[in-house]
Amino acid sequence: MTEEEKANFLKRFGHSAKEFLYGMAGHDMTRFALKTRGSMEHLFILITMGDLLGIPILPPYYSLRLLPYVVPQISTWKRRMLRERDLTDALA
Amino acid sequence: MNALVILIIAAVGVYLGYGLYAKKIDKDIIQPSPDKATPATMYMDGVDFTPASKNVLFGYQFKSIAALGPIGGPIVAAQYGWLPGLLWIIFGTFFIGWVQDYASIIVPMRSEGDTFGALSYKLISPRARGILLVFIYLYLLLIMGAFGQVIGINFLSNPGVPVGVLAVILMGLLAGQMTYKMKQDILLTTAITVVVAFIGIWVGTLSGVTGFFEGFNASLGANTKYFWALIFAVICYLGAVLPIWRWAQPTNYVSFWIIALGMAGGVIGMIIWTFQGGATFGDFPAFTGWSVAGLGPLWPILFVTIACGAVSGWHSLVSSSGTARQIEKEVDALPIGGGAMWMEMILAVIALLTATAATGGWDAYLEAYAGGKFGVFAVGLANFLSHIGIPTAFGIPYGMVFLTIMGLTICYLVVRFMRVASAELLGDAIPALKNMHVGAIVALVLSLIVIWTGVWQTIWVLFGGANQMMASLALLIITVWLMSQGKKYGWTFWPFVFMYITTIAALVYTAFWKALPAVLAGTKVTGNIIAVVVAVILILCALVLGYDGVLAINRYRKGEVAPTAE
Repeated sequence: MTEEEKANFLKRFGHSAKEFLYGMAGHDMTRFALKTRGSMEHLFILITMGDLLGIPILPPYYSLRLLPYVVPQISTWKRRMLRERDLTDALA
Repeated sequence: MNALVILIIAAVGVYLGYGLYAKKIDKDIIQPSPDKATPATMYMDGVDFTPASKNVLFGYQFKSIAALGPIGGPIVAAQYGWLPGLLWIIFGTFFIGWVQDYASIIVPMRSEGDTFGALSYKLISPRARGILLVFIYLYLLLIMGAFGQVIGINFLSNPGVPVGVLAVILMGLLAGQMTYKMKQDILLTTAITVVVAFIGIWVGTLSGVTGFFEGFNASLGANTKYFWALIFAVICYLGAVLPIWRWAQPTNYVSFWIIALGMAGGVIGMIIWTFQGGATFGDFPAFTGWSVAGLGPLWPILFVTIACGAVSGWHSLVSSSGTARQIEKEVDALPIGGGAMWMEMILAVIALLTATAATGGWDAYLEAYAGGKFGVFAVGLANFLSHIGIPTAFGIPYGMVFLTIMGLTICYLVVRFMRVASAELLGDAIPALKNMHVGAIVALVLSLIVIWTGVWQTIWVLFGGANQMMASLALLIITVWLMSQGKKYGWTFWPFVFMYITTIAALVYTAFWKALPAVLAGTKVTGNIIAVVVAVILILCALVLGYDGVLAINRYRKGEVAPTAE
């Protein structure tokens, strides 16, 4: 094994170990944060739903300001909303 | 016999099981393709379906499957001698454990991320899903009973433990505040909270503090177990109803470091001790007999006493609902699912070593076991840690705090899930159960009844039985799925048959040979009646699911349903 190969191996090993440690210690945190963001997104989309459908519920000025932020999330939001769920979903 | 020889045997098991058998199954039967889209990439929603790297998921999977189970089971099963437990841990993982974990990732991954509830509905029968959920609720109740007795009655009532546990929880709250409210750097947060938590554990071992709790427990007298179990319930209640970021999740984060550092120190200490000529089994017998008083006959009880560490149904839930939806490439399923299971097997072997090599002999093991079940692990860990310079006077309470917080991290999740389950199952009939506080309190009251009235070894065997039954049902679903795809299924079908028969036998034995005679003899009547009722419900659920499963298998065998090409 050359010096360069050794260095690469150590680098890869260090990177893998770092990711493994993150997976054990911090990945759950990230998932909880994503779930919280997902719940917020539901509310956010609900607020602007009227304008998405063409029915002004909020004063249009505010919802029109919000719409550009909502539109990119619609496809992933739709997947979440339409997916069949059961209790075992709560475990992960 | 010494610790190093056992570790070498385990390593050979890993090489043969993972390196040869698992890789062959993966290559010849499942044939994963790195180019095939997985649900994580196809249905990415930024929340549940999100691709993650192989190493991250390996850590996540291991952390999710390894809790008190792989530690507790081998310690209890050491009553049969060290050999039966060791053989079951290695061969159980070899033929069943990794098979279940790996396939529990593969099947949902190839079924658009469906959970086992949905899969049982589609593959077995419509009623299978409902029965599975009743089954899971009782299984969770048994987890609370088994862990709750150890934590609430054995550990928290130990004078050296409460301050340490309080310190870890307080530091968890601080970690949450620093991370989410004060937006502090995670390294700084980790350093401060973990160091202060360790100082808290040390303060808890000072004679002034332990003296105070000794006096306090003495003043409670016979009510000590009720008081500390109630404290356990209050902690679980807060963990289950407060926002996750506020309590459960940052507490788990700080706990992780306390546990990881303890495990790392223990393993290093064990290796040093072995090279010094220690860590031998002394007079610890390899085999004590075909039946053990208090536990029962080797078959079927050993196979449910050691659940996690050999095979566990919990893993199938974690793998299917969590990991399967985050896999980026199909080829990652084996290193993640199979790899994490083999690593847990090593953890179970280390737990067995804390009961055998670390205690140094049979009498020392029995003495530590009489002092409080998993207390054996705390004593063993302290003995290992003493070889890296950590005094035993600190090591034993540290081991107990370690186990307590390890159990609590699971119990938060269990109560949270029980309240969701009760709201789903009974929410329409009893609308009050939809309220999260009511749901959590109902779950905790049921748990406390089991904790206060139950016989621990009976609860543990029932918990193991429910756990293993979950595993066998997961294997049944996997077998039917393999048949539906026209693939070879012997590698999951025979493990299913073995686990199914063994687990039903264990539940029948526990209900009718242990708990029922105890009721008739007037011993711990309430607890034993609960044990009989729970066991009978579990058996009935398992029989109905087994019947539906056999019908489903026959449908595919007779060609009534054509296999689906992938």
